[in-house]
Amino acid sequence: MTKDLNLELTRRELFRTGGMGLGASALMSLLGNDVGATEPSFDNPLRARHSDYPARAKSVIYIHMIGAPSQLDLYVDKPKLREMTGELCPEELFNSQQFAFIRSRPKMYGSQFKFRQFGESGQTFSELIPEIGALADDIAVIETMHGEQINHSPAQLFMQTGFGRFGRPSMGSWVTYGLGSENENLPSFVVMVTGSVGGAGNSMWGSGFLPTIYQGVEFRASGDPVLFLSNPRGVKKADRRKIVDTINQLNREQLLDLGDPEIATRIGQYEMAYKMQSSVPDLMDTSGETEDTHALYGSKPNATGFANNCLLARRLVERGVRFVQLFDQGWDHHSNIEKSIQNKAKSVDQPIAALLKDLKQRGLLDDTLVICGSEFGRTPMVQGALSSAGRDHHKDCFSIWMAGGGVRGGVRVGESDDLGFSITKDPVSVHDFHATVLHLLGMDHTALTYKYQGRQFRLTDVAGEPVQQILS
Amino acid sequence: MIRRTSIYTALVSLALVSTQAIAQQIDFEKQVWPILQSNCFDCHGEAIHEGNLRLDAKTLAFRGGITGIGIVSGKPDQSPLYLRLVTAAEGERMPAEREALAEDQIDVIRQWIEQGAKWPDSVGSDATEISRHWAYVSPSRPELPMVSDFQWPLNPLDYFILQKLDSKGISPSSRIDQRRLVRRVYLDLVGYPPTYEQVEHFVNDSSPDAYQKLVEGLLASPQYGVRWARPWLDLARYADSNGYQADQYRNVWPFRDWVINALNNDMPFDQFTIEQIAGDLLDEPTQSQQIATGFHRLTTLNVEGGTDPELSRLNQVIDRVNTTATVWLGSTIECSQCHNHKYDPFSQKEYYELLAYFNNTPIEVSGKSSAFNFYGPTINVNRSLKERRKYIAAEEKKQSVQKDLEKVTAQFDEGYGQWLQEMKTQSTESQEWHILRATNAVSTNGATLKILEDHSVLSTGENPDKDVYEIEFTSDLPEITGFKLEALTHDELPGKGPGRFTAERPNFVLQEFTLHHGGNVLKLSDALADFSQTNFEVSKAIDGDESTAWAIAPQFSKPHSAEFLIQEAIESDSPITLKARLVMNYGGSRVIGRVRLSAMTGQRKSNAPSKRILDLAAKLERNAKEEQELHNAFLKLQPEYVQAQKAVTDAEKALLALQAPTALVMSEMEKPRETYLLIRGEYKNNGDRVLASTPSILHAQLEEDSEQRDRLELARWLVSPENPLVARVTVNRWWAEFFGKGMVVTEEDFGSQGDLPTHPELLDWLAVEFMEQGWSMKHIHRLIVNSATYQQNSKARPDLQELDPTNRWLARMPRMRMSAEGIRDTMLQISGLLELQMGGEPIYPPQPAGIWRHVGRNAPKYNTSQQTDRYRRGVYVIWRRSAPYPAFTNFDAPDRTSCVVSRSRTNTPLQALTLLNDPMYWEMTQALGQHLHQRQRDGAVSLREMVSYAFMRTVSRKPSEREVDILSNLYIETVAQLSDRPADLMELVGQKDKSASAELGAWYYLANVLLNLDETITRN
Repeated sequence: MTKDLNLELTRRELFRTGGMGLGASALMSLLGNDVGATEPSFDNPLRARHSDYPARAKSVIYIHMIGAPSQLDLYVDKPKLREMTGELCPEELFNSQQFAFIRSRPKMYGSQFKFRQFGESGQTFSELIPEIGALADDIAVIETMHGEQINHSPAQLFMQTGFGRFGRPSMGSWVTYGLGSENENLPSFVVMVTGSVGGAGNSMWGSGFLPTIYQGVEFRASGDPVLFLSNPRGVKKADRRKIVDTINQLNREQLLDLGDPEIATRIGQYEMAYKMQSSVPDLMDTSGETEDTHALYGSKPNATGFANNCLLARRLVERGVRFVQLFDQGWDHHSNIEKSIQNKAKSVDQPIAALLKDLKQRGLLDDTLVICGSEFGRTPMVQGALSSAGRDHHKDCFSIWMAGGGVRGGVRVGESDDLGFSITKDPVSVHDFHATVLHLLGMDHTALTYKYQGRQFRLTDVAGEPVQQILS
Repeated sequence: MIRRTSIYTALVSLALVSTQAIAQQIDFEKQVWPILQSNCFDCHGEAIHEGNLRLDAKTLAFRGGITGIGIVSGKPDQSPLYLRLVTAAEGERMPAEREALAEDQIDVIRQWIEQGAKWPDSVGSDATEISRHWAYVSPSRPELPMVSDFQWPLNPLDYFILQKLDSKGISPSSRIDQRRLVRRVYLDLVGYPPTYEQVEHFVNDSSPDAYQKLVEGLLASPQYGVRWARPWLDLARYADSNGYQADQYRNVWPFRDWVINALNNDMPFDQFTIEQIAGDLLDEPTQSQQIATGFHRLTTLNVEGGTDPELSRLNQVIDRVNTTATVWLGSTIECSQCHNHKYDPFSQKEYYELLAYFNNTPIEVSGKSSAFNFYGPTINVNRSLKERRKYIAAEEKKQSVQKDLEKVTAQFDEGYGQWLQEMKTQSTESQEWHILRATNAVSTNGATLKILEDHSVLSTGENPDKDVYEIEFTSDLPEITGFKLEALTHDELPGKGPGRFTAERPNFVLQEFTLHHGGNVLKLSDALADFSQTNFEVSKAIDGDESTAWAIAPQFSKPHSAEFLIQEAIESDSPITLKARLVMNYGGSRVIGRVRLSAMTGQRKSNAPSKRILDLAAKLERNAKEEQELHNAFLKLQPEYVQAQKAVTDAEKALLALQAPTALVMSEMEKPRETYLLIRGEYKNNGDRVLASTPSILHAQLEEDSEQRDRLELARWLVSPENPLVARVTVNRWWAEFFGKGMVVTEEDFGSQGDLPTHPELLDWLAVEFMEQGWSMKHIHRLIVNSATYQQNSKARPDLQELDPTNRWLARMPRMRMSAEGIRDTMLQISGLLELQMGGEPIYPPQPAGIWRHVGRNAPKYNTSQQTDRYRRGVYVIWRRSAPYPAFTNFDAPDRTSCVVSRSRTNTPLQALTLLNDPMYWEMTQALGQHLHQRQRDGAVSLREMVSYAFMRTVSRKPSEREVDILSNLYIETVAQLSDRPADLMELVGQKDKSASAELGAWYYLANVLLNLDETITRN
């Protein structure tokens, strides 16, 4: 990493000067006849880079359930809590922490759903997610996540950037900064959203103080999949080709005159923009997928929605996209959780399971880390009346799971008390989670740094240890 | 400090138990010095003295660093030198980021201190003062250096630049040509390029001071302030919304206008600072001085349900401290929020002492329990005299129509009693309701519409952001005279509904409700609802306008209904099918969760009162409120009253539109808060109480014994001529705006981890000049653009490739891609659309649909500006933190959630797509194309001349022959091709001009090329 750090300094200098260029070698080739060459050279900020040590995963698909589902109704079975349903919450428990919405001493509320064991590992999952459950032996659940924020947007920022306020780069940005891209015709960090954007807004895939080239690019469900991808009315593909050629011809005149490598870069970027006008629609066009595949995901050719996004996620990592971030909104069940979570779980169970199965059958799961998480979990106490029971935010003990990309399947990390309220063994912080993800990608989280305001910043701030138990 | 002491005490007692070795006399030189030498001097030695500590010099080692004492003879448990070796506290144990010392080494240190810490004078350095980091020493004006060529420098700046070049054996570049120069200085000073005519005027002005005149004109232009406000607004994290989940609109633009005005007036930077930090604390502050304090009201604020208001407040104060240190001190004091600064001499205590200055403003969150809102001190902003006159006139008008209304009301006093009697006897008997059978229900956006047994339709499953329901009903009633639409509750709906928004606010927004029968749309009228939300009256659901709607907040979780009459009764002997269409495109899933439709038979007079009114009339006793309601219902039946009432409403609206806008300001509480050091920076983990004070490493406070430890004192301290940082940091940022990077490349960090200045003498010279010339920004900018350095050309040179590949010594001007706003302003200017109107509320230029679609209540709506507003400059574009303007984001604009000192400057394919295709840019492309087409038709000039004109209009310089060839070829080929493709052509140019549309199409393509050139978006 020492060598890389020196390189970082060079790159940093380049960003400062505006020189995000292709460098001398590419410049020479452009000045020759080799027009449009975009081979990444040493100072291309998105060139593919080697990791600190052998990487277990090359790409990441990170599903964030915006609003935060109840771990107690999906992953963690607490029979004792179920027995206590309707009893007043123990006084000391109520006084032990601040709640977002609960203001008076609430009743306990066990899950209304059945749990059962799955696979050889015998992990329990609830009846709401039978298809995910069936893959228990591929999945490692961290039962003992804990965060620091009890409100959605700060918690979303904390989960995505390791810091509960604005200004820091998101995990996808860090990863792209660390590893670069393996596909020149697509962005290296792609974001897809079902429902509304989470409260923290676009900062959830922002690049913070990292150069903006590392920010996520949203592939949108309606309109242009990438903003401004389609030509204005009446401008046909051949016309666009001619216009781009003319722009680049004139830019090459300038390049010859002024010799600024930035112009060479811009020529390359116009070529890439033109290529994206076909590569992105190709990617988004799922009509070529077999009926079996669509049946597996529950997707429909060229439709939108979560199932289609899962299918697109597979298509993206297949093409070498480094980091795919899916957001699915609608998990903030403060009331009527029984019906609501059932509906939501139903909408994601099949697609997520399909994604794992599909990656596996294509031999991609070994290289692809799939993460399913949320900004926090939910309380074992009821919010509101039992008749319209909901659950409040809970940051002190919640679950996320991972699969593929060097994760040991069938593992459960940590233990919580009988009520699912507090961690009793092996707590895993958000920084630990981040350290684990970077580790699986072959990066030492203490060495992936960026100097800003005189300080070497890390995704993991000043903490974090990879969770050894889930490494295969 | 409390924490450290207790940990230390524990450790010390442990240490005492574990080290029972018999004390031997320690020899400092042989035993202690080598340990210090090999473990400590790297960071605390002659070259580097982190934490202001040197351990290689006796005096300084005893004195200690920023935390105080270093060694107390005889008392290891009071000597940080020892304590820092054994502490378990994270980040405190020394040597930092390395293995702890071996136990026997630690023992040696402890015993040596116990034995009196004898350090022979002969060992180590005899230094008694720590040499200060360069940036903490006040600048003094250096002499102009000797240079190789006295002809070259045009002003003092150039001497420093040339001297450096001389020392490197590099020669400066030649002067840039006039055309490129005029474009450069326009872009740098006002932020958009000169027009074709302005370029011609300049190059034809042969007077010796033509350039100076040009510069003076630009410095005096009001557009100078618009251009230069942008970097300051980045520092100020200026945005029009809160940030976080409740990312609502804030009225903050008066601050933006204040900045632009201040820059245009060349307000001295010390005053500029004092007014922004503490304008409210000046004696009898003017309105403008109060608006200036908006600077620190621009922090993000989380008012999401369930937040902790006090924590939100603390986060704001922390942001104020950090931003102040970054902007005025170029220092990253932020690091000392949780612990003493690792590298720079700021202690954690000093951080909170600085925080204490900002800790005395009122909380900015209103609300109780779990629902909160943005809040805090505001003032009304006066407008111009003309506008105030208008306001007074409007007020008079309102009073006069109000009197009319009172008169009219009095007329009807008698009629009321009579009407009341009628009401008491009237009944609704003849009117009957019949639930209609739903037969088919479809959601256009993927929700599942289930028909329940009671004929209501429940929306389940997918909860789309927006939806339109189409529901079919059958009726076998012989005659229908009206309809009732019910929005019902259901257990499956969030908070029981009736809307599908959130469980806390299960609202719906029904924009349009239409009924179709036999291919006709039924004319619905006389809408009555059991309840309507303010400004969302039920009549708005049938007004044919989708920008208005019926909604029911805050009457959630209960059923609601709306009744409508139809103009002509539907009569039929056989069963009929009716189709209902409910448009609910407000967003955020504000759709009705359960719908039922009933038909009315019998009569209701179209001005018949609602059941509520009849019930009220029937009551034996009414309270005052009910009486008032009844009286109003009566009055509303009188046309004269309605007319008079409308006049009053109109007058009120007019008055409201003329009302002074508000601005957010700071204000000091009568009783200041107590400020405590927060242990590890943790909320509520209070350490010792601290009092407001400034960091000791910097210049002293103005008056040591002043009672006034307030923001005003801090502001004056920041701009004291003694402050070694403020002038350097400020001129360095401007330097970076002109030259691509600062002389100190790390513009945000002048501390020990920051870069050293490339031209330290020049930096100091400019800093002193700045302060001595009345803190005038325009003076510094004038010096820069009049320098020979600035007027060099920007061509790459083979010799520099090796000697100075990153152009640190400025032997040529760097080329720089412009800022996001600069690019838009430039395109507007070239296309001829630029509108220079200044000030006022933010503008909403076109952006694709669906950019603003984030969770959260009362989200503002993006109502695209029409007419000239959409062509105003980028600084006026609405800045919503959760989703900033996408054409800006793609060109590295920040989200303005925190202070940004310098934006990155990337070069990506998304930028190409934006300029090629963004409808906003395409609009400019078309405007330019139409202009060129028109000009071609107006004047009989050759194609080559036309192309040259278009090129010069875009990038100011003349094209080469080859460039003209390339563009002419495109034109000729395009005209030929488009003429063969009439359908494509029609799509491209519409019906504008049938006779010459292929030419117009070709100009569109040329305009598209020109507006995408690297040169067009680059400051050469």
